[in-house]
Amino acid sequence: MEVIATVVGNYPRPEWFREYLRKVEGLQKDLDVEIERDVLKKAIAEVIDEQKRAGIELFTDGQLIWHDFLLTIASRLEGFEMNGLVRYFDNNLYYRIPIAKGRVKRTKKILYDFEIAFEIEKNIKAVLSCYTVAKLSRNEFYSKFEDFLWDICKAVKEEIEELERSGVKYVQIDEPALLYAEKKELEVLRDVYRELTNTKMETILMTYFDSAERIFPEVLDFGFDVIGLDFVEGYEENMNIVKEYDFDAINLGLIDGRNTKMESLEDLKGKFEEITSKGNFKKVYISPNTGLEFLPSIKAFEKMQLIAKLKEVVE
Amino acid sequence: MKTTVVGSYPKPKWLLRMIKLHKDGKVDDKVMDEAYKDAVKAVVKDHEIAGVDIIWDGEMRREEMTSYFAERIDGFVIYGEVRVWGNAYYPKPSIVGELRYRDELAINDFLYLRSITDKEIKVPITGAYTIVDWSFNEYYPSKEEAVYALAEVLNKEFRELVKVGAKYIQIDEPAIPTHPEEIEIAKNAVEIMVKGVNAYIGMHMCYGNYRAIFPEILDFKVDQIDFEFANRNFEDLAILKEYDYDKDLGFGCIDVHSRRVETVEEVKKAIYMALEIVEPDQLYVDPDCGLKLLPRDIAFEKLKVMVQATNEVRKELGIAE
Repeated sequence: MEVIATVVGNYPRPEWFREYLRKVEGLQKDLDVEIERDVLKKAIAEVIDEQKRAGIELFTDGQLIWHDFLLTIASRLEGFEMNGLVRYFDNNLYYRIPIAKGRVKRTKKILYDFEIAFEIEKNIKAVLSCYTVAKLSRNEFYSKFEDFLWDICKAVKEEIEELERSGVKYVQIDEPALLYAEKKELEVLRDVYRELTNTKMETILMTYFDSAERIFPEVLDFGFDVIGLDFVEGYEENMNIVKEYDFDAINLGLIDGRNTKMESLEDLKGKFEEITSKGNFKKVYISPNTGLEFLPSIKAFEKMQLIAKLKEVVE
Repeated sequence: MKTTVVGSYPKPKWLLRMIKLHKDGKVDDKVMDEAYKDAVKAVVKDHEIAGVDIIWDGEMRREEMTSYFAERIDGFVIYGEVRVWGNAYYPKPSIVGELRYRDELAINDFLYLRSITDKEIKVPITGAYTIVDWSFNEYYPSKEEAVYALAEVLNKEFRELVKVGAKYIQIDEPAIPTHPEEIEIAKNAVEIMVKGVNAYIGMHMCYGNYRAIFPEILDFKVDQIDFEFANRNFEDLAILKEYDYDKDLGFGCIDVHSRRVETVEEVKKAIYMALEIVEPDQLYVDPDCGLKLLPRDIAFEKLKVMVQATNEVRKELGIAE
């Protein structure tokens, strides 16, 4: 069993970069101004370096300019307009709600910030999302949600193909909203995800904020190489999933990315052993359950160190 | 029918400079304290000229509404800032030990204000539910327990405030409408906070879906609830009507998110709408929320319009000013 220390996605912005953004973008709702490439590159390099120093092995770019969390993806697609602030799941965080006013199309690169990160570091995951973008947006254009979803899927698929052509090895699809999908939706979603996972890159489905019991066993048929489960919010239920279903590779969200409280290494080790003894995994990623941007930066770093320590003691 | 404010007021520009100098160690505590007091005098004068009936000190010493209190209560530490949206951050406190009363929270501010004005005073303090909701909880087994523990701390402060002469306390609870499923916890917390507190109690809530907290909110042990109405074009008044709202009403009728100064006529019209729901003596006319994000001259103009509109309605109804 291979064990790899990783992170989920977003990360607190370096303090100087935060100040920079405040200066060039202001505090109001019209964000997304052009950011100097060199400045962004410096900030991303810093965040990747922090991950390395903490002992993380598979990195992300920290999503440093994802003002609207996963909904940032919508802001980079044609057809969407960003509107008033809405609460992001059960967090004290807000995103501008994207409203689909026209046909959704990819007219430019979605992950232009990831492209910069990939110049710095090759062992890095690109992060995208599909269903969550559709679900958390407001659709004022399509008469059927399904058509809306498919157009987002097509746009994301184009991005995935371009990532693959550039030599990217890992793509992670974050889908917290998928945990609340209705059973009857899962059939369409299977087709959507089969389209997205039809790539040579390693594909990781990341779920968080809740347990994933409602999407099993259907999700096993979606074509993902790795399935990520949140063992902070849904330990019991996700434990049952591991007991009941067989899959090769899993991402264990073991450390609470939304609380400054530091877990005990012993406790984490116990949980790791309990979960992995019940499954038959060839590959296990260990990570916080969510991105680390919910935490003050000093604690975000400590949480990554804890992940790295856990990897040491379980190997 | 009285006019009041929610709490914050734009800090004078010179004060912001002084705060920076103080942070950089170029101004000592004594000078800074004098600056704060002078700023409060300026703010009080603005309110007096505008003619507001019940005032507060504009929250010159408070940078925001969670960490200011957390820093003064045992059991909290602040590791740093977290993002709320876009480029907006706040220092999010962590609860790392038993929450205990340590320093006064608003008593000195109240006493100073009392010494420089004869106006009626309202003391706004962020409520237990909101502070806990906006903090990390490392210590208590549940959010509920943390909320109740903090409510006890605030109860002590409220009692002390009454002892030194405070007659009107406002509990700020903007987090309540964001978690309607936890309204029972918030309600119990208010009961703890006001236990044995012999004062008029208001509760301010801005932002969020009000419909989700009705009718439960009507059972809260407060004399008055203060809502924002202008921000959503007074549409939420329909909810109050629907549920036979019977508490005193804090009537937010000035939009704090817009720099456009309302006309006297439109504020009057709004006041008459509120009077369809409560009697004049139950009505407290105020802005939607604190005014701190507006330029000072616009905040001042808005207050003047609000008072003038109230005065004209009083005259038309034959109520004394």
